[in-house]
Amino acid sequence: MTYAIQTVDLSRRYGRMVALDQLNLSVEQGSIYGFIGPNGAGKTTTLRLLAGLLEPSGGEVRLMGERLVPGGAQRLVGYMPDFFGVYDDLRVWEYLDFFARCYGLDGATRKRSVDELLSLVDLGHKRDAYVQSLSRGMQQRLCLAHALVHNPPVLLLDEPASGLDPRARVELRELLRTLRDMGKTVLLSSHILSELAEVCTEIGIIESGKMVVSGPVDEVRRQLQGSARLRIRVLRGLETAEATLRQLVVAPQGDLPQLGGVRHDLSDERALLVELGDADEEAQARLLAHLIGQGVVVSEFRAQAENLEELFLRLTAVE
Amino acid sequence: MRNARVRRPQINPIIVREVRTRMRGARPYVILTGFLLLLAAAGVGIYQLMLQQARFGGTLLSAQVGQSLFKGLGFVELLLVVFLAPSLTSGAISGEREQLTYDMLMATPLRPAQILWGKLVAALSYLFLLIFAAVPVFSVVLVFGGVELRALLKALALLVVATVFFGSIGLFCSSFGRRTARATTGAYTLVLLLIGVPVLLASVWGQFSNPPGQLPPELIYLNPFSALLSVTTIAPPGDPAMAAVPFFSFGDPFGGLPLLGTLAPGVVYYGQNGPVVLPIYRATLLAYGLLTAILCWVSAHLVLPNRRWRPRWSDLGFLLIVTGLLALAYFTRAWWHIPAPKQF
Repeated sequence: MTYAIQTVDLSRRYGRMVALDQLNLSVEQGSIYGFIGPNGAGKTTTLRLLAGLLEPSGGEVRLMGERLVPGGAQRLVGYMPDFFGVYDDLRVWEYLDFFARCYGLDGATRKRSVDELLSLVDLGHKRDAYVQSLSRGMQQRLCLAHALVHNPPVLLLDEPASGLDPRARVELRELLRTLRDMGKTVLLSSHILSELAEVCTEIGIIESGKMVVSGPVDEVRRQLQGSARLRIRVLRGLETAEATLRQLVVAPQGDLPQLGGVRHDLSDERALLVELGDADEEAQARLLAHLIGQGVVVSEFRAQAENLEELFLRLTAVE
Repeated sequence: MRNARVRRPQINPIIVREVRTRMRGARPYVILTGFLLLLAAAGVGIYQLMLQQARFGGTLLSAQVGQSLFKGLGFVELLLVVFLAPSLTSGAISGEREQLTYDMLMATPLRPAQILWGKLVAALSYLFLLIFAAVPVFSVVLVFGGVELRALLKALALLVVATVFFGSIGLFCSSFGRRTARATTGAYTLVLLLIGVPVLLASVWGQFSNPPGQLPPELIYLNPFSALLSVTTIAPPGDPAMAAVPFFSFGDPFGGLPLLGTLAPGVVYYGQNGPVVLPIYRATLLAYGLLTAILCWVSAHLVLPNRRWRPRWSDLGFLLIVTGLLALAYFTRAWWHIPAPKQF
């Protein structure tokens, strides 16, 4: 299978500082890959290397199976930087026309591309407006459109949702799904982890220039989460429930499962989070029955998946 | 959307973009009007100065007025070029970095030479507009006479070449520096050195040379004002080619125009056979052409985000241009390198 993006031991140094340390990354064609990491982890450096704007200190980059050579990324990649500017006194259609000319599109193709892109990013009604008069969200969409002007198979988006209001972020997510349906491969970096979970098919977590984990979202979750977790919300008898559960942490009782840990849910004072280990549904049912038998009134008893934010915080915690 | 075939662009997109935006709004028209008014005011002022000489009993010929106007207007326009051209181009590349469009531009297939050429032409296009818009004002000189059309064309050529050269200085500083402010400071420093050092040398040469003599012309080849003076100063009688053109004052070939006398050393020589005007503008044109090519060559490397000094095919083009200019300079040295005549 030819990967859309592949890096082999990719490294980048700025003087003595190692920004990327033998990064190995594989992104399948047609996927939306979310690149997560704390500030300074190496996300922007990776994207700039993939776009051909930086030269690797070591390793190599492959795009659509071809080894990246200087100047070779331009026709394959559409790049949207995290901080971008606009040209003053340029109209929206002229902005796209300029970049279409930069990519060498001829007259008729250029006009058609500009019209189609304006329609795609929903800026057709702003065609003749000056770029500097657009809102932040509209400028972001316009910048995304410029990255598509030469119809590249790969899109590199650095913090595309940065500075957008919730509605604009929803619109962006829809746009990304549309791009995926068009067969594009999208690699995007973001700090807004909840959005990545909604739209990405694969994620990679990077820290200090090293890839911590990478793969399909569910697989990464399963890989990292390890044991199952229960969320138990108690209406009455919270102290009894907590004491009962803590006893099961120390030692199993009868046919009840041994628990890995019990803690309060910080977002809800009446809820407890229980690490189950490898207990199956039968064991969970017995646990629920035991609690009820102790006089605990339970309003919620369900398995809880660790969300991306918690995974990220756990993996990138300072040791 | 169909697959778009990516090719090398045809018309430079940067020039297209600049043409679209440069003349928007009232500002460019206000500047153009102001410049032409300034030039016209300078012309009126020079005319009044000449009339003043006549009022004090001097003989004033129409040709003298024409020659003074030619010098004065040329000087004003060159002053504009020297100080505007670097400022127009010193933000060309650093401005892209500051307004965060640099990465998006570098991610396109545009070659560094295309970006530089587009930036240079785009930034200087307005200045060229000003220069050519001033041609009708200059044509007043022909009404008064005293100046050949050939001299006007030489002055125009010098203005155009100086515009490109000083523009390339700004472009070089912009490619080198990360900030427009620093690039502009660097560009003006270079411009002041090019102009100021020869003037300074001229003022002290006589005191420090042994035996005392006039400034060697080679030291002022890069000074544009000296070059303009060599174009606008009409040769005295004795030169058969210029016998029909009156040279009005042996003592003051500049017609009393202030400041121009300071630029005379190295251009006007007072030799055994009378005053001689050395055509140093020839050397200036060649030097500016050569330096422009070199500055653009270095800038094409500096503009790149990585692998700046890796050899490229464009280096071959620049090498051919520079070699061609050097060869031209060598084979035409008798034309542009005219030694100073023997002194008294």
